Amino acid sequence: MIGYYISLALRSLRRTPILSALMVAAIAVGVGAAMTTLTLNYMMSRNALADKDDVLYAVQLDNWDPHEAADNPSEMPWEITYKDAISLLRSDIPTYHVAMHRWGGPITLEDSTLRPYTAQARVTSRDFFALFDVSFVYGGTWAGEADNNAVFQVVLNKSTNEKLFNGENSVGRTINFNGAPFTVVGVVEDWHPSPKVHDLNNGDFMKSADIYIPFGLHRVLEIQTWGNTNGWKPEKIESYEDGLGAEYVWVQYWVQLDSAEQRQRYEDFLTGFIQEQKSQGRFPRPLKFGLSKPSEWLVLNEVVDGDDRMLNWLSLAFLLVCLVNAVALLLAKFLRKAPETGVRRALGASRSAVFSQHLVESGCIGLAGGLIGILLTLAGLALIRQLSMGYMDSVASMDWLMMLSAIGLAILSSLLAGLYPAWRISRTNPSIYLKTQ
Amino acid sequence: MLKMHNIRKSYRTDTIETHALRDFSLEVNEGEFVSVTGPSGSGKTTFLNIAGLLETPTGGQYLLDGQEVGNLSDRERSHLRNEKIGFIFQGFNLIPDLSLFDNIDVPLRYRGFNAKERRRRIEKSLEQVGLSARAKHLPAQLSGGQQQRVAIARALAGEPRFLLADEPTGNLDSLMARQVMELLEFINQWGTTIVMVTHDPDLARRAHRNIQIVDGQVSDLRQNIAADEAAIA
Ligand SMILES: Nc1ncnc2c1ncn2[C@@H]1O[C@H](COP(=O)(O)OP(=O)(O)OP(=O)(O)O)[C@@H](O)[C@H]1O
Ligand SMILES: [Mg+2]
Repeated sequence: MIGYYISLALRSLRRTPILSALMVAAIAVGVGAAMTTLTLNYMMSRNALADKDDVLYAVQLDNWDPHEAADNPSEMPWEITYKDAISLLRSDIPTYHVAMHRWGGPITLEDSTLRPYTAQARVTSRDFFALFDVSFVYGGTWAGEADNNAVFQVVLNKSTNEKLFNGENSVGRTINFNGAPFTVVGVVEDWHPSPKVHDLNNGDFMKSADIYIPFGLHRVLEIQTWGNTNGWKPEKIESYEDGLGAEYVWVQYWVQLDSAEQRQRYEDFLTGFIQEQKSQGRFPRPLKFGLSKPSEWLVLNEVVDGDDRMLNWLSLAFLLVCLVNAVALLLAKFLRKAPETGVRRALGASRSAVFSQHLVESGCIGLAGGLIGILLTLAGLALIRQLSMGYMDSVASMDWLMMLSAIGLAILSSLLAGLYPAWRISRTNPSIYLKTQ
Repeated sequence: MLKMHNIRKSYRTDTIETHALRDFSLEVNEGEFVSVTGPSGSGKTTFLNIAGLLETPTGGQYLLDGQEVGNLSDRERSHLRNEKIGFIFQGFNLIPDLSLFDNIDVPLRYRGFNAKERRRRIEKSLEQVGLSARAKHLPAQLSGGQQQRVAIARALAGEPRFLLADEPTGNLDSLMARQVMELLEFINQWGTTIVMVTHDPDLARRAHRNIQIVDGQVSDLRQNIAADEAAIA
C-alpha cells in the first residue's frame, strides 16, 4: 500500500507544481538554516579525545595575582610556567604526562630541490604520542633524556614525511629546522583534532603541528613560544634564563591517570608541590589547582559558548516558522483534494488509509525538502568558510551523520507538519464532497 | 439484504436542527431493483449515504446482510463498503487526473488484490460497460454517458452485492440515460441488488418496486400509486 501512496503523492505533487514547490522550499529553507547552525555547533563541540575522556586531565596551577583571580571561568591560568612544568615532569605518578607548547619555523633539506617552508611545530615531552593516542607509522618517540637535555631529534607527521621524503621510512634521515639539523626518529599519523582540545590557546579550529621536537631544547635554541604568554606581575627579564624562571605561563600540561587511586595520589602530589612553593614565597593565592577531563576542558574554555547555543535555538525556531507555513500550505492542498478523498472513502478507504496516504505525501515533500535543505546547508557552510578565510574550514563541513540528520530532520518536520492536515482530511465527512458537482 | 428500522438522522447547525430522516423503516430483498423518488430535500441522498455506510444514523437500527452495522468501527465499515457496496453518483465522481484504468483500480487497491487480479477485474468491468478501448483515457476525454459507464464499471469491479445509485442519469440526456438504465437492469439480472434514486418517473417505473420518500419518511405506497395514477390521468 505504501507504494500506492507514494505514487499517488508524486502524482499529486505534479498536479500542483507551484504549491508543491512552495512547500518544498519552506521545508528546505528551514532545514538549511537549522542544519547550518547545528552543524557548526556540532562540529565545534566535538571532542577528539572522547575515547580517553575518563583518564586524561588538563592540569592547571593557580600561581596568579594574590589580589585578582585569572580572568576566565576557571579562575586559574590556562597554562603553567616553564619551571613548574619541569618540576611536574619529575613526578612518576601519572601513566603519561606532557608539557608542551606551539612553535614553528622554516624547514629545509640538504641536497634537495625542496623550497624552504614554514612548519608548525609542537615542542613537547616524549609522552605526547602515547597520551593523545597518536600512532606511529615509522619509528617511535625520542628517549626520555631528550626532555631534559638538548637532543636534536624530530618526529614528523605523515604529510610532512610525504612532502620531505616521498613517504619513505625516513627514520635516521636529517632535516634542518630553524637552522639546526634534526635527526628523524619517527613518523606519526596526521593529528589535527578540531576543536584543538589539547591547546585551546590560539585558534580553536586551526591545524595542529606538522612536526614534534623534544622539550629539552629550550636553552640551546632559546625557543620562544608561538602560543600565548600571560603574566600578572612585572618582572625584570634580561636574559633567556630570566624568562624561563619567571611567573609567566605559556606551557600546556596534560596527564593520564588511569584510576581514581592514581588521581588521588596525583592530587596529593600537586597539593604538596604547591605547599612547598608557597613556603618559598610563590603561589600567593589560596591553594588551588585544576584537573579537567577533555570534555570539561572544552566547556570550561567556552569553545561553544552561550551565543552559539542561542543560535541553535533561533535556527530551530526559524524551522518551526517554516513548518507552520508548510502546515498551512498542506492544509490548503489537502482540502482542495477533498472531493477526491470523498470518492476514495465511498470506494472503501478507511480513515486511517486516508490519513496514511496524506502523511506519505507530506513525507515525500519532506524528503525533497531535506535533499534541497542539504544543498542549502552545504552552500551555507561554504559561505561561512569563505567569510572566515580558513579559520573555520575544519568545522564548516558536513559529515555523513549530519547529512542523515538533515534528511531525518526534514522528514520528521514534514511528517509533523502533515500530521494535522492529514488528520483533518481523514475526519471530513465524505458525503459532503459527493454531492452533485 | 438491507433492513432499516426507525432510522433517524438529524443535522445540527448552530441555529437549526434539520431532521433529514424520521422513523425511517424499509426492507430491501436480495436481488431486488428498488427505485426511490421524492421531492427535493426529502432525504433520499441521506438514506443512500446511511445505507452505504458513509454516514451514521442518529438513531434506529440498520442490518446489512443480517449484520448490525451501528456499532462497527470506521475500519470495519470501510471494509464492508469496499467489499459489499458499489456507489454511483449523479456527478460521476471520477478522479479527474487518473485514467479510466486507474479510476477503476481505486476500490481494488483498498481491497488488497494483487496486480494481476486487479488487472483482470479492471479489464473485465471495462468490457462489461463497453469501454475496453478507452482504458488509458482521462475522464474528461469521454462523454457524460461514457463517464457514467466508467463509474458503473468502477462500482462493479469489486463485484458488490449491493449497488447504490444517486440520480445516475440526472446529468444525462434521455438516450444516454436509457443506455445507463439498460446497463443497470442487466447488472441486476446477474444478481446484484440495486437501490436507485431518480427524479424520472419512467425510469422509476422500470424498477421492481418504487418507494417514495416525503419529509424524511417512506410514504404509504398505495397512496403514492394512487397519486401517480391521478397525475397520469
Ligand atoms: N450535511 C448536512 N448538513 C445539514 N443539513 C443537511 C446535510 N445534508 C443534508 N441536509 C439536509 O437534510 C435534508 C435531506 O437532504 P438530502 O440531500 O437527503 O435530500 P434529497 O432528497 O437527496 O434532495 P435532492 O433530491 O435535492 O438531492 C435537506 O433538508 C438538507 O438540507
Ligand atoms: Mg440528493
